[in-house]
Order: sequence, then C-alpha cells, then structure tokens
Amino acid sequence: MKKLGKFQLNEKQLGYAMILPSLILVFVVTLWPVAQSFYNSLFDYRLNDPTRSQKMLNATIDLERYADNYFYIEGQLSNLESNADGEVSAAVEQVREVVDSYHGELISNSEISEKIKQIDEMLMNYQPVTDENLKYTEVDNDFAKEYRSALQESAVEFQTIADSTENEQLAQSLSQTSSLLTATSENILESNFIGFANYGKYLKDQRMWQSLGNTVYFTVVSVSFELILGLAIALLINRAFRGRGLVRASVLIPWAIPTAVAAMMWGFLYDGQSGIIGHYFEQIGIISDASWLLSTSSGGLFSVIFADVWKTTPYMALLLLAGLQTIPRSLYEASDVDGANRFQQFIKITLPLLKSSILVALLFRTLDAFRVFDLIYVLTGGGPANATESISIYAYKTLFSQQNFGEGSVLSVIVFLCVALISFIYVRLIGSDLFAGRMK
Amino acid sequence: MKRAGIGFYIFLIIFVFLVMFPFIWVFLTSIKPVGEIFTSFKWFTTNPTLSSYEAALTNRPLMRYMLNSFVVSSITTLLSVGFAAFAAYAVTRLPIRGKGLFLGIVLAASMFPQIAIISPMFNLITSLGLRNSYFGLVIPYITISLPLSIWVLSTFFQKIPFELEESAKLDGASPFQTFRKIIFPLATPGIFTTGILVFIAAWNEYLFALTINSDDLWRTVPVGISMYQSEFSIPWGDISAATVIVTIPIVILVLLFQKRIVSGLTSGSVKE
Repeated sequence: MKKLGKFQLNEKQLGYAMILPSLILVFVVTLWPVAQSFYNSLFDYRLNDPTRSQKMLNATIDLERYADNYFYIEGQLSNLESNADGEVSAAVEQVREVVDSYHGELISNSEISEKIKQIDEMLMNYQPVTDENLKYTEVDNDFAKEYRSALQESAVEFQTIADSTENEQLAQSLSQTSSLLTATSENILESNFIGFANYGKYLKDQRMWQSLGNTVYFTVVSVSFELILGLAIALLINRAFRGRGLVRASVLIPWAIPTAVAAMMWGFLYDGQSGIIGHYFEQIGIISDASWLLSTSSGGLFSVIFADVWKTTPYMALLLLAGLQTIPRSLYEASDVDGANRFQQFIKITLPLLKSSILVALLFRTLDAFRVFDLIYVLTGGGPANATESISIYAYKTLFSQQNFGEGSVLSVIVFLCVALISFIYVRLIGSDLFAGRMK
Repeated sequence: MKRAGIGFYIFLIIFVFLVMFPFIWVFLTSIKPVGEIFTSFKWFTTNPTLSSYEAALTNRPLMRYMLNSFVVSSITTLLSVGFAAFAAYAVTRLPIRGKGLFLGIVLAASMFPQIAIISPMFNLITSLGLRNSYFGLVIPYITISLPLSIWVLSTFFQKIPFELEESAKLDGASPFQTFRKIIFPLATPGIFTTGILVFIAAWNEYLFALTINSDDLWRTVPVGISMYQSEFSIPWGDISAATVIVTIPIVILVLLFQKRIVSGLTSGSVKE
C-alpha cells in the first residue's frame, strides 16, 4: 500500500511537469500578447512619430537628443555672453541660470547623470544610441512640465530681443539659440497615456461601425448558408454508396488549400473582364454586368460570402456527417413502426440528437468567420470603398499601414471583446459537452 | 443504411463538379496561351502550353516560397505536437488537479483572434531580431497550433484503454515509462493525424506571415501567391499556374491521408 501511495505522488508530479511547458507557451504567445494589446490601446502610441513611439506612463526625456542639444546650448550661451552687453547680457545670464538649475536638478539623479555621460561618449564617436533603456529616461511629471515651459519661455524671450535689436549678427545668434531651446523643450516628452480616450473616439467612428456591421453580416449570412447546405449534404450522403473516398477527398481539398490561394482563384473567377463566373452570371441574366461582382458594394459582399461558403461548407458537412453517424439506426426503425414520416423523424430524432454537433460546429465556424481576414484582404482588399472591410482588416490597416499601434490596438481589443462575447454565449449553450471525451 | 439510387449518383456528380469547378477552370486556364485567357471563355484550348508555368516559376521565387512554407510548417508541427503530447497525456490520464481550468485556458487561447495578438508579437519578434527568419514565424504559429494540438490529441489519448496502465503499474513501470513505452506508441496514429492538421493550419496561415516576413525571400506560399498581382496588371496566366503548383502538394496530402484528416477534424465534435 505504501508503495502505491508513492506511485500516485510521482504520477501527479509528472502530470504537472508535462503540462507546464504548454501552459508557459500558451501564456507567452497568447495571453501575454492580448494583455499587451489592451495595454497598448491606452496610449497614443505611433511607431512613425518619434515623440510617441514609446509608451510613456510618465514624462520621459529623449536623452540622446537632449544631451546633443544641451551641448550646443552651453556653447551658444557662452558665445552670446561674450558678444552681448547691457540688457541682453543680463537676459542671457538669466537664461543660463535657469537652464543650469534645471539641468543640475536633472543630473542630480546619479542614474540619469551616468546615462548622460555614456551617451555623450557615444555621441562623440558618432554612435547611434539603440538601447532604449539608455536612450529614454522617466522623469517627474511636474519637473518635466516646468523645465519644458522654462525652455519655451527662454526661447520666446530670446526671439523677442532678436526681433527688437538692431545688431544683425546678435539677432541672428539669438534667434538660433531660441530655436535650439525650442527643440530641446521638445525632447522632454509628455506622457502619452490617454486611458480610454481612444475607445471613446472609435465608439463614435463611423468606419468602425461599418466594418463591424460588415463583419456581423458576413458572419451571419455565410454561417447560416454553410449550416443549411452542410446539413443538407450530410443528410444526403449519410448512406452507403460507391466512391465515398472520392467525394470525401473532393470535399476536403477546398478546406485544405490556403485561404489566400482560394481568394486568388476566386478573384480570377469573378474578374470583370476574364472571369468565368461573372461571364456566366451575365449570360444567364442574374447580373446585368460582369463587373458587378467586384466593383459594387453589394457585389463585393456577395463575392466574399460566396467564396467563403464554397470553402467551408464541405467542412461543416463533414462535422455534421460524423454527428449523424452516431445516431442509432434503431431509433429510426422504431419510429417507422410507429408510422412517423421522414419530416417528423428529422424534427424529433435527428435534430435533437445532432444538437451538440451542430452547436460545436457553429461555435468554431462563427469564430472563424468573425475573425475573417485573409479571404477579404486578398479578394477585395476591403473595397470597393470599404464596403467589404471587416473589423480585422480595419485593425490591420490602422496597425501596419498607419503604424498607429495605439488606435490599432483599440480596434483589435474590440475584435477580442466581440469574440469573447460570442464564445461565452455558445459555451453557455453547449455546456459541459464541449469537454466531452477529454476528461473523465 | 439507405441504398443509393441513380438519382443519388447524378446528384453526387453535380455536387463534386461544383465543388471542384474552380480548380478545373484554373487548371484549364493555366495551360492556355496567355492571349487566349483574356479573349475567350472557351473551356479547352487547342494549343496547350506550359509557358504560364515557366513564367510563374521565373517571375517570382515560387519554389523558395514553398521551401519556406515547408520548413516553417514542419518545425511548428514538431514543436507543438511534441509539447501537446505531454500536456494531453497529463490531462487525460494522470491524476492532476485543475484539468478543467487547463482545458478551458487552451480552448480560450484557440479562440483568441490573431489580430489581437499581432502587434505585441510583431514588437517581440522585432526586438528578438527574428523578422524575416523561420523562427520569426514559428513562434507566433505556436499560438494557433498548440491549442489545436492539445485539443485534438486529448481525444485520442482518452480513447486508449485504461487497463493498459493498470497492468503496466502492476509490472512496476514508472509513470514516465508507461507513457513512453505503452501509451505513446498506441497514440502514434492520433499524433500523426494531429500533425497533419497542424501542418495544414501552419501552411495556410496568412496574417503573421504577411507582417513578420515581409522580405520576398522569406515569404510563405499564401503571402507569395497574393503578391503576384500588382497594382497595374494581374497576370492571370502566372497566377493560375502558380495556384496549380501550390495546390498539388495539398491534393497529394489529402488523397493519402483523407481518412485520418476526417477523423482528426471530427474528433471531439461528436459524443461517442
């Protein structure tokens, strides 16, 4: 008995050890990025704007630029001091005092002064500062605000003197220093934490609502067609016949090819000039012009839905067929004896017993359809005039075409919340059946 | 079972034809001379030619795309099925707590939209210096493939009779020996099936491949194919030939393993 107890414990340890790597991976590659997306969405965070390419909870100084500018301020102020006299000299003196006192306060922090020393050395050697921990330093919000406005005020003062003085050379060096001071004030970056402001913006954004509407429309229409057609096909082929293998293979191939490749194929079939589908539809008289398919908004939506139905109905049929095959024949035989007709059998036997298969298939299909990206991106690019743009495509364009990671993250969080809501509803409907066959 | 009549076979032929029609048409187009593609809707050309294939292979590095896709999908499959085999075994057959929680996390992870993962993942891969490399895609692909593998594999592990472990225990095998020598070999078909599904999923991925490997030499098949169209002209001849070339491996895979693929797809979607 004692030995068995030890064995149990070992089994448990082994179990946790075996789960651990997967758990860590799932956290690192899925849960952490989603949390990060949410965090990013709270900032005005743009990769292509140097003053906003960082997420700054507090005021931050771009030390590389600051150190460089400060070096020149020192030189120019000394220069002005030796050339100016009277009132101007006093003004220069005062600015120097102000800058020195703020700079002194900044480098009184030993960590920052160490960083500045290192950066100065790198600047001397014309080395770019790539280490972001070295390049940026957080500072106190009030200090940053005061220092920035002190620099701006000094800049204005110098410019005023420059405008009024008659000494042209002095005026030129004063206005030069003035713009240097302004530039330095811009190296002191404000926090770009904006909280939920972007959410407010996107909740009022018409393009967001349109793309969300497109996504919902696409999801509801294509998944409904896939379910009805898939169920019909599954019911029809749920019998013994020759050539099952051939049917199964032909059904699997559309599912197995990359969506982007399928989208390219359909792009060719729909093409306004050389597309066969457009040509036939026009000849039959379904559409007035072959170019309707890709160049009008209703045609575009029809095209992406049709292509999606083609690609995923077979998958749906396979899942439902597997469900159908678990329904015992005896139930139908018994109801035959009772005199039930085919329709009654379908309503009373097939549908109730198929319910969990249908719901599981619907769950996965709905989520896939809601996340639709590559089919639409390759087939229409979201056009014409954003008529087929799904919310994922809108998010992608904001993230990577505009390089706006803050606003793009807002859109991706919206997608995430919608997906979470859909899953929640389905999981409530399906209940514990979802875990059937995986846990005892 | 109902018997199949002649009407049924006619329906079947029409069904298979409709499903296969895009492939048939694209294949017929790929062997047409380029001029004919834009001028006629005739099904069969009288002058079949392979010039579109030549163009598809020389205008863009299609073989390189295939190699990239193959390497990335293979590494992804090996890694995720490897990790998932351990996790699925532990969840289905070892007495640990929190199984429901673990499976719940895995299921939730498989539902996460890729668009909500892409920007932090892009930053991560960039800071690791892995853009335009194989591992730059393998890491994000784990996002998709690991939950899928764990989910499918756990049904396969669950189906193996529990008596086998009991007797292994009695014979004095350690838990890990039981896994390695008894359960793992029995689960090989299931592991293989899971591998095929993961491979196909990785082969087909588009969003991560589009953003992370933007250099033409590192593109995968789906992204590479979508780059054949330029802003000014769409070379339908090249595209249809390229489509045929990249579809052939998939067709072979499906023909060889169709039964396994179906069993993997439907595992767990039905109660048994």
